[in-house]
Amino acid sequence: MDPDALAKAFVEHYYSTFDTNRNGLANLYQEGSMLTFEGQKIQGASNIVAKLTSLPFQQCHHSISTVDCQPSGVNAGMLVFVSGNLQLAGEQHTLKFSQMFHLIPTPQGSYYVLNDIFRLNYA
Amino acid sequence: MDPDASAKAFVEQYYSTFDTNRNNLPCSLSRLRRSWCQHSITTVDSQPSAVNSAMLVFVSGNLQLAGEQHSLKFSQMFHLIPTPQGSYYVLNDIFRLNYA
Repeated sequence: MDPDALAKAFVEHYYSTFDTNRNGLANLYQEGSMLTFEGQKIQGASNIVAKLTSLPFQQCHHSISTVDCQPSGVNAGMLVFVSGNLQLAGEQHTLKFSQMFHLIPTPQGSYYVLNDIFRLNYA
Repeated sequence: MDPDASAKAFVEQYYSTFDTNRNNLPCSLSRLRRSWCQHSITTVDSQPSAVNSAMLVFVSGNLQLAGEQHSLKFSQMFHLIPTPQGSYYVLNDIFRLNYA
């Protein structure tokens, strides 16, 4: 699969899982994974999923505007850079966000998230 | 130097160079047509990318172009690799304007 198609497939999987079953994201992180969420630094799969499931909204929908990827030069890793809109349940206007992932291949032929940095883009 | 301080120092150097002397940056960037621009940085986040002290830096901010009244929002990420001389070079660079 070419890297752009792979990045798009990962992005679709990640955000549909986030929007429907945030606990399901635990499989995508490992103990060495790092998330920076709006400047807050969190390490380890269980801590990351605890953070994501504790966000103060029950339902949300990510719509993706752009996906860019490049090989990271690290163990066949891939850098994925996403921008889009986040709709929260009950809110009329969406929030703009940008997010980057550093994906590392697993022995099973899939990818896990080693680095994850998320920011809302305030007007 | 701690990683956040290194990231902030790199970001300040990169954007002040971009805004004052783009010719020191990759060739494609020096061809941008505007006579000047000014980056103002809103957020800088960094994480170690887990190999040989490499670092991921994620920046968001505003870009003011010459002759334009309103600035444009942008996000950019860099993957920085240490050089033998004790500095960093940019291995990966992804830039996006964030349209409203």
